[in-house]
Amino acid sequence: MRKKALTILAMGLMMVPFLLGAVSAKTLKIGSMSPLTGPYASDGTDIKNGAQTAIDVFMEQGGIPGYDKIELFAQDTACDPRQAVAAANKLINLEVVGVVGAYCSSSTIPSSEVLDEEDIIMITPASTNEKVTDRGLPYMFRMCGRDDDQAPAAAKFMKESLGAKSIFIVDDKTTYSQGLADGVSKAAKALGIDVVAHEHVNQGDKDFSAVLTMAKQKKADIFYMSLQGYSPAAMMTLQAKRLGMNSQIVTQDAVFQPKYMEVAKDAAQGVYLTYGYTDSSTPEYKAFEERYVPKYGKIAAYATYAYDACTSLLKAIKAAGSTDPKKVKAELMKLDYPGVAKHVKFKANGDSGSSYIAFKVVGDQFVPYWEPKNGLIK
Amino acid sequence: MEYFIQQLINGLTLGGMYALIALGYTMVYGVIQLINFAHGEFFAAGGYIGAIVLAYFAGVGYMESHPIICLTASFMIAMAYCAYLAIGVEKIAYKPLRKQSRLSALLSALGMSIFLSNGMMLTQGVYDAIYPSELFQGRFDFGMISVSYLQVTIVTLTAALLVGLNILVFKTKIGMAMRATAQDKTMSALVAISSNRIISLTFAIGAGLAASAGIMYGLYYGSVKYDMGFVPGIKAFAAAVLGGIGNITGAMLGGLIIGMVEIFGAGYISGEYKDVFAFIILIAVLYFKPTGIMGENIDDTRV
Repeated sequence: MRKKALTILAMGLMMVPFLLGAVSAKTLKIGSMSPLTGPYASDGTDIKNGAQTAIDVFMEQGGIPGYDKIELFAQDTACDPRQAVAAANKLINLEVVGVVGAYCSSSTIPSSEVLDEEDIIMITPASTNEKVTDRGLPYMFRMCGRDDDQAPAAAKFMKESLGAKSIFIVDDKTTYSQGLADGVSKAAKALGIDVVAHEHVNQGDKDFSAVLTMAKQKKADIFYMSLQGYSPAAMMTLQAKRLGMNSQIVTQDAVFQPKYMEVAKDAAQGVYLTYGYTDSSTPEYKAFEERYVPKYGKIAAYATYAYDACTSLLKAIKAAGSTDPKKVKAELMKLDYPGVAKHVKFKANGDSGSSYIAFKVVGDQFVPYWEPKNGLIK
Repeated sequence: MEYFIQQLINGLTLGGMYALIALGYTMVYGVIQLINFAHGEFFAAGGYIGAIVLAYFAGVGYMESHPIICLTASFMIAMAYCAYLAIGVEKIAYKPLRKQSRLSALLSALGMSIFLSNGMMLTQGVYDAIYPSELFQGRFDFGMISVSYLQVTIVTLTAALLVGLNILVFKTKIGMAMRATAQDKTMSALVAISSNRIISLTFAIGAGLAASAGIMYGLYYGSVKYDMGFVPGIKAFAAAVLGGIGNITGAMLGGLIIGMVEIFGAGYISGEYKDVFAFIILIAVLYFKPTGIMGENIDDTRV
C-alpha cells in the first residue's frame, strides 16, 4: 500500500515539468468545422487539410509573435445542424480565437449564431447560401461565392452557351441545394427558359430511378442537379446514363470533387458545373500545390478556400497584435492580397465576391469552359 | 403506359433487392423469434467484399478477359464470408442470451449492428468503395422503355435465388429440419435434429442472401459505403413485417411491394415523400391485418 502511494507520488512529480511546460508555451488555438464522417467526409477532410496547410506555412514564415505554436482543432459536423452546434460549443470551450468552417450551409447558419454570441470570428470556405452573410452577424465572413451569384451565372450559361429552352430541376432539400435550385429556377424563368418541373429527392437516397424516368419522359434540354455533395451526384449521373436520359446534365459547386469522376466514370464525361474561378497559374497556387499534393493528394473542392480562410485569419491576428475580435475584424477588413483560390478582399457584409464560371468534365479533370463575361474559354 | 412500365421495371429491381434482405429477417425470426437488427450490416459487408474481390480481379487483369467468372467468384466469396460472419455473430452475441428474455437478445442485436457498421468504417474508411461499372453497360431499348443489362441480371439473379431458397426450404431434408425446428425445438431435437446447427444454418443462408443483395446494390448504384446497411435494412425489416414476419413467401412479397410503392410514389406523386408512402402502406396493412399479408405463422410454411 505504502509502496503504491509512493509510486503515485513519484509519477505525480514527474508530471510537473510537463504541466509547467504546457502553461509557459503559448498556443494559438484555431478551430475548423466540417463533416469528417458521413457522406460529405471527403469534402470536410479537404477543408481540414487546407486549414492545416495554412497553419504549417504560416509557422514556417515566422508565425505570430508571442505564440510558440498554432494548433488546429478540427471538429466534425457531419453536415448535421445539431452536431454543428455541438461542435461550435466545443470550440467555444476550447477557447479558440477563430473558426474555419463549416461546409454545409445548414450547419454554418446555426453554428455561427452560437459562435457570434461569444464574438468568435467564423470564416466559411464553402457555404454558399445567401443567408450565411445576409443575417448581419458582425463576425461572419465568407471566402467562397454566393448562390445568388451562382444561380444567374448557371442560367446564363445554359441559355447562351448551351442554347437551352427547357430545364428539369432536381434538388435534395438542404438549405444549400434547395436554395440554389430555387435561384436557378427563378433565373432561368427570367431568361425565358421553360422550367418543366422542379422535383425533390431526399438526402441519403441512392435510388433515383423514379425521378430520372420522369425527367427522361419530359425530355427537357437541361437536367439540372442541385445535390449536396459529389456522392449522390455521381450515383444520379450513373443511373441517368443507364436509363438513357438524353438531357444535358448541369450541376453545381458541391460536385467539384475528383471523386465524382471516379464513381460516375464514363457517365460523368461532358457534364457541366459551375464553380468559382481559380487561376491555377499564379505563383500562390503553385506554391500551395507543391505543399499540399505530396501530403494529402489531389487538390479538391474547398481545400484552397479553406487555406485562404485560415491564412487571412492568421494574417489579421498577426497584424492586430492581439486576439481581440474587434481588432482582428478591423484587420480582416483591411486585407487585400492575392490568395490561392482568389484575391482576398472582404466586403462590409463579410462576403468576398463571387467569380462563377462553368467547367466541363473531360477525362478526370474539370476544365474551365465558359465565363459570364466573354463566353467560351479557349 | 410506357412511363408506367418503365417505373414497374425500376420497382422490380429495387423490390427484388429488398426481398433478398427481408428474407434474412424473416427466416431468423421464424427460427428463434429474434429481430436480427445486425442483418443490414451483413448486406453492407457483402457489398464491401464484392468491391474488394472485384478490385483485385480488375487489378490482375482478369476482369476484362473473364468478367462472368470474376463476378461469380465475387458472389461466392462474399456470400461465404457473410455466412461465416453471421454464424460468428450468432455464436457471440445471441447464443449466450438464448435462455434470457427476448429483449436482451434484441438489444444485443442493436449493439452488434453499431459495432459492425463502425468496424467497417474504421477498416474500410469513410469514402465510397467503387465498383467497376463497365460490366453490363448496355441496355435494351423498346421505344421509350429502356431496360439495362444490369437490371435484367439483377432481376434474373434475384428470381433464381428466391426459387433456390424455396426449393431448399420446402423440398429438401435440410429444409424440413429447418421447418421442424421452427415449429418446435424440443420435439425436433427428439428426432435427432440439432437445433444449434439449424440456427447457424439459418443465419448463414439469410446473410448469404443479404451479401448477394449487397453486391447487386454495388453494381447497380456504382459504389458501396459503410453506412449503407441502415436504410435498406429498415426497409427490408418493414417488408418482412408487411409480408408477415416468419413467412418466407410473405417476405418476398413484402419486399416487392415496398420497392414498388416507393418507386410509384416517387414517380406519380412526389419524390420527396417516397419513404412515407412505403410506411403508410405498412401501417395500413398492419391496421387491418396485424399479422401481415401472409397471416399468422403457425402452419408449416414458417421457417
